[in-house]
Amino acid sequence: MRLTGKTVVVTGAARGLGRATAEACAAEGADLALLDLCDDLPGVPYPLGTAGQLEHTAELCRKAGSAVLTARCDVRDLRSVEEAVALAEERFGALDGVVNNAGIAAPSGRPAHEIGEEEWALMIDVDLSGAWRMIRSVGGAMSARRSGSIVNIASTAGLVGYRHFAGYVAAKHGLIGLTRAAALDYAPRKVRVNAVCPGSVRDDPTAEGRMLAEIARALDVPVSEHEQEFVAAQPMNALIEPADVAAAVVYLLSDDARQVTGTTLTVDGGFSAR
Amino acid sequence: MPGAQCHAVRVAVTGTDVRRLRDRLAVAGPWRLWTDDIPGAATGPIAVRRRASELRRPVRGDARCVLLRYEDGTADLVVVAHRDRLDGPGLHHLVAVLTGERPPSPAPHPAAPRAGLPPVAAAPDWGGGDPSSTAHAACHVDLPLPHATAPAALRLPALAVTLARYDGHGATAAATVGTDDRGAREYALPASATLRDLAATEPAHTAHGVVAGILEADPGPPADERLPCLAPPFPLTFVFSPLPDGATRLSCHFRLSHVAPAVAEGFTRHLAQVYRQAVLAPDTAVADVELLDRDERDRVARLGRPAAGPARTPDTLPRAFARVAAAAPDAIALCDGGTELSYRELDERSARIAAGLRARGVRRGDRVGVCLERSAELVVTLLGVVRAGASYVPADPAYPTDRLAHTVADAGLRVVVTRLAEFPREGGAVPLTPDELTAPASTERAGTAEDGPEEPEEPSGPPAPDDPAYVIYTSGSTGRPKGVTVPHRNVVALIDATRDEYGLGPDDTWTLFHSAAFDFSVWEIWGCLLTGGRLVVVPYAVTRDPDDFRDLLLARRVTVLSQTPSAFSQLLRTDHTGLPVQLVVFGGEPLDSRMLLPWFDRHPETTCRTVNMFGITETTVHVTAQTVTRELALAGSRSVGPALPGRHLYVTDERGRLVPPGVTGEIRVGGAGVAAGYLNRPELTAERFLPDPYAPDARALTYRSGDLGRMRTDGRLEHLGRIDSQVKIRGFRIEPDEIRAVLLEDPAVTAAAVVVHRDDPTDPATARLDAYVVPAGGTAADLQGLRKRAAGILPEHMVPATVTALDALPLTPNGKLDATQLPAPVRSSSSARPAPEPDGTGDTALAGALREIWETVLGTPVGLDDDFFELGGNSLFAVRISAALRARGLKPVPLRDLFRTPTIRELTT
Repeated sequence: MRLTGKTVVVTGAARGLGRATAEACAAEGADLALLDLCDDLPGVPYPLGTAGQLEHTAELCRKAGSAVLTARCDVRDLRSVEEAVALAEERFGALDGVVNNAGIAAPSGRPAHEIGEEEWALMIDVDLSGAWRMIRSVGGAMSARRSGSIVNIASTAGLVGYRHFAGYVAAKHGLIGLTRAAALDYAPRKVRVNAVCPGSVRDDPTAEGRMLAEIARALDVPVSEHEQEFVAAQPMNALIEPADVAAAVVYLLSDDARQVTGTTLTVDGGFSAR
Repeated sequence: MPGAQCHAVRVAVTGTDVRRLRDRLAVAGPWRLWTDDIPGAATGPIAVRRRASELRRPVRGDARCVLLRYEDGTADLVVVAHRDRLDGPGLHHLVAVLTGERPPSPAPHPAAPRAGLPPVAAAPDWGGGDPSSTAHAACHVDLPLPHATAPAALRLPALAVTLARYDGHGATAAATVGTDDRGAREYALPASATLRDLAATEPAHTAHGVVAGILEADPGPPADERLPCLAPPFPLTFVFSPLPDGATRLSCHFRLSHVAPAVAEGFTRHLAQVYRQAVLAPDTAVADVELLDRDERDRVARLGRPAAGPARTPDTLPRAFARVAAAAPDAIALCDGGTELSYRELDERSARIAAGLRARGVRRGDRVGVCLERSAELVVTLLGVVRAGASYVPADPAYPTDRLAHTVADAGLRVVVTRLAEFPREGGAVPLTPDELTAPASTERAGTAEDGPEEPEEPSGPPAPDDPAYVIYTSGSTGRPKGVTVPHRNVVALIDATRDEYGLGPDDTWTLFHSAAFDFSVWEIWGCLLTGGRLVVVPYAVTRDPDDFRDLLLARRVTVLSQTPSAFSQLLRTDHTGLPVQLVVFGGEPLDSRMLLPWFDRHPETTCRTVNMFGITETTVHVTAQTVTRELALAGSRSVGPALPGRHLYVTDERGRLVPPGVTGEIRVGGAGVAAGYLNRPELTAERFLPDPYAPDARALTYRSGDLGRMRTDGRLEHLGRIDSQVKIRGFRIEPDEIRAVLLEDPAVTAAAVVVHRDDPTDPATARLDAYVVPAGGTAADLQGLRKRAAGILPEHMVPATVTALDALPLTPNGKLDATQLPAPVRSSSSARPAPEPDGTGDTALAGALREIWETVLGTPVGLDDDFFELGGNSLFAVRISAALRARGLKPVPLRDLFRTPTIRELTT
């Protein structure tokens, strides 16, 4: 078990990649602080994770033997993030890992000049600034302990452009930039910051993910057609499974990666190799 | 370490009314109650894991209360607290409030502020820790002492005494111990002080780092589980706590970076033993405290005794040889240049020598000198001597006459087999050549060789296993070499102990590389001849020329090579690709295993085994064996391995008591290799050869080696050098006192000191003897004359390279020589004379080249008239110079030319 004795914070843990990551960490012996907004957001055209989904993730992890703390957390609000971190530190003493997974895929589906000011700001606020707020809240304590690993869930949209997704692409590119800069900030203190760039991830029913479906809807194409398009675009001829992404996250959280920082670990079936 | 200042308890609770618990907690302090529902029963695997992790989770802030509820309806309350906020009584109070034993009230702060934790010292050399580890572990020992009444004041003194013993041979009589509330304290430990005395004194504060300390476990709350610390505040942290029956538990929490688990467990047992003595016999003097009880002594003694090899009946060299010769009489036994002798021929020729000796009156138990060059004839003669029932006393023909004379006189030799015309005849010694011995006149009583090597009837009979086989002279602290008497059975047992492990047999070809006066040759000659191998004599000149030696190894297809590390390092400088060697045995001096990496590059462990053997003349060549692997070489291992079968190793303190594994002490050797003693030196024999208290046989002896070592917990020995000043240079054991004694014999000298110096600490070839003398009043020091006179008495390897005159020798406060205060030696070259002509005036082309090479190799400016040996030159440097000359297409200078004409001017004119 590669994460025994470590405590990991996962944002956006109610479902999807967040749930898969939490489960993978639990299977490796970690204790977990699972955070989620547990509410819908005005401006996001699809339902977000719920309190019930977050508790279900927690239950899955407890059954695997983890000590689990759940808390609501709005990554758009620095105070909310700081309170969640303080609670987790009170419960667990010290935090060893953070997975910045909370994010939204829409509103999207329009060319850049058609994006509204608020839509743009919301996307950047959640997908980019949310990760920064979490780093801001844990960076000091991790530096003081000279130990810690932060993993930002970016995307292949952080590496290349996608048509009609300017806000999302800009936020994910920004997240990779944040990863690199923060990695340099904390490297002397032995705190690592890395990004994982998933390609197109299947909406696994038990993880309750719906990212792919929402992107298809934003583009106004049938989900099956959208899936087929990405299967063709990923040279391994398959969609990525949530567990594939979670495995990359576990590696970066573990001491196996103790000299790995500032990197982007791409899990895209070869998509970006072309 | 996080958690070093935290303690934790777990109590089972019933009736888990969370609201009531929260209400009580709110009164006790500003803490939150965390509740966790654990899948499964309280005994289930998840519950076990969760309890352990909650107990060991450091707090952020000052306390944490967690209620673990299990599916079977039971629950545990885990409280973790920082000692600065909640000490033992405070934690007790909080738990009592939570469990309802006490009405709710605020948990008290500690009565007095605590001192900060002292700094942690570097890992001790006895610890065997893993520097890369950040983990910790725990162990414990239960003591039949009443915890409540056994004096706590004796605990720190007991720890101080134990720690001082662990610091080992010659350590200062003081120890620094840590406390959790009073910082680091230093105990002075005079040998005569009693444990009671120590308990009555308040040890001084110190800023020193701490290796071991005691955590005074506060009288904490009754608990189902209790951790006095979540991580050890000291690398070795000890806690004394009560057991349910009132006895004492001694727990040790230790950091793996500083101590290996086996060492921590041993230390805990030893501290328990010392504490027990302190309680039961507080008037025991520090020096008399026993670290090990009987069981522990037996356990440590067993570590140094590997499983016994196959039991064999004691035997003699002639009988063992006869069996081998009979099995394959036509196999080649000896090669010397163009000469080859089969086992049958060796048998016959040695029988003639034996007969010749008998004809000269040699009888069983006599000693016969053998002073012959490495040759077939040497081997034939040695075998002949032991077949005659006598023991051989080898002497190197290169030794100065004085030393040969000493050997003759000391061993009382009447017959010496030699070809030296000028062999000293003092004391009635009769020098005989092998030809004279085997001339028809002297062998007529033995019958003719063609009739077979019949042993003639001898009134005193053939040698018995306990009869001496040889007497080899080694340096002694008394100033003159002393003879070590080694019985037949020891040599046969050495070969028996190694034959199977190393697969020694008739397919092997060995070298005879070493002088018969060096006991490594005992291994080479008898190791080969008693296993049916082929022994290749390496002429002296070839032993000094690595290229020629390499050629010989190739041409003769040598498979078993025995070398000192110094000699082997010379061979490594040659192109050693393709050598057929399958076993290299190192002996004679410490091996730095890293030097073998270039060998492993070309000779992987799968094709050639390299074995480092530690041994002493007094214990019959080898005692231990460590197969060196690339892995060990990369790690720079100092292990010389476990004892060979039948041999025993002990590491003891100054009083002869066994020390624990990991602790430095004197190496003692028991078992099948221990020699019979020193010839004609009963007092010295009694001093060095002592009864073996751990051997089943009451007559068994151990030899006190005077070497420092450490037994590892796996039974392997680490050899750490000589206790006294005795050293080895290029494989020769050297006693500086012996050289000093020779210098002091000169009337012009009133005081002298001899030290070993290495210009390059990593290069054994640069080892050099420097002498310092105080000339007699009013005489001008004739240092060159002094050195020349010393060279007439001492063997070449013992002649000091430099002699420096001083007004007085620097001394330590104890009146011993303070070697650190000696000035740099005065070399006769640049400092004593004008600098060499910088333009090379007077140099011929050859002289110029020689000068450049000498300067490079010797690392000092060289003048045309500088004496090679006075510049620090030795045979290894001579080899390097010859190699450099060859590389420039010039003719190498043989070593013997250098001895005759040691200056460049003489060499080039």
